[in-house]
Amino acid sequence: MNIDDKTTQALAASLKYRKMRLELNASNIANAETPGYKAKKIDFEEALARALDTDEQQTLKTADSKHFNVGGGGFNNLQPEIYEESNGIVSPDGNTVDRDAELAEMAENKIMYDASVQLLNKKLGLMKYVVGSDR
Amino acid sequence: MDLLTSLKISSSGLTANKKRMAAISSNIANAQTTRTAEGGAYQPKEVVFGSEPVKESFSEILSGEMDDNAQTVIAKEVTNSKKPPILKYEPNHPDANAEGYVAYPNINTMEEMANMIEASRAYEANINAMNTAKSMAMKDLEIGRN
Repeated sequence: MNIDDKTTQALAASLKYRKMRLELNASNIANAETPGYKAKKIDFEEALARALDTDEQQTLKTADSKHFNVGGGGFNNLQPEIYEESNGIVSPDGNTVDRDAELAEMAENKIMYDASVQLLNKKLGLMKYVVGSDR
Repeated sequence: MDLLTSLKISSSGLTANKKRMAAISSNIANAQTTRTAEGGAYQPKEVVFGSEPVKESFSEILSGEMDDNAQTVIAKEVTNSKKPPILKYEPNHPDANAEGYVAYPNINTMEEMANMIEASRAYEANINAMNTAKSMAMKDLEIGRN
């Protein structure tokens, strides 16, 4: 078992991007009445799934370290998509923020964040157990 | 970029909405004011919101690491509403003009109350976002503590 394995990396990435999502939620809520402001969203789940390569379909195998890593790309160059919400409710002043939807997304995001922290703790607990099992 | 950025953004939302509340209460309080320092009837105030990138530390700005996806909100300006005053025929009023009309500010109290509820909800939503950021930051401290 490696400390810095796929699970840890995926959880770390999840924490990072959930923080980013919270930031965008906070920004959208703060700007819910700014004329012309467009709600911003982040989509990292797909990029994370690609990096995890759960179905082992998307990664091109490389035979040399100098080969370009096409497809999965690992966790270091995850490219989450940040985009402006264009098909939401547009108010007459051009604002596209749906405050209730933002609050709901924020609550969900928090729960998933807590879950990630809990999983990370389980993982660390497992390692602690392995280290201490001799005594 | 950390959870403190979220706190900064939410607190900007609180500040902006407080300014808006101040404008609304000023409008309600002065709904009947016919004499002001500038002369004439009281002009209803309106707060204009604008978004701004989060102000990061100087070194981050210098290294171009600012990212302008998350934006704070500021009350850009407090302007006088363009609504023309309402003229009422009150010839005995001290502020009546030559024809006996008094200019009253064009303030609809119901409208102001509705704006007030909106500002209060916006304030609560920002508080909510702030609390979420806070509890996520606290959760961070639990990593590895078991």
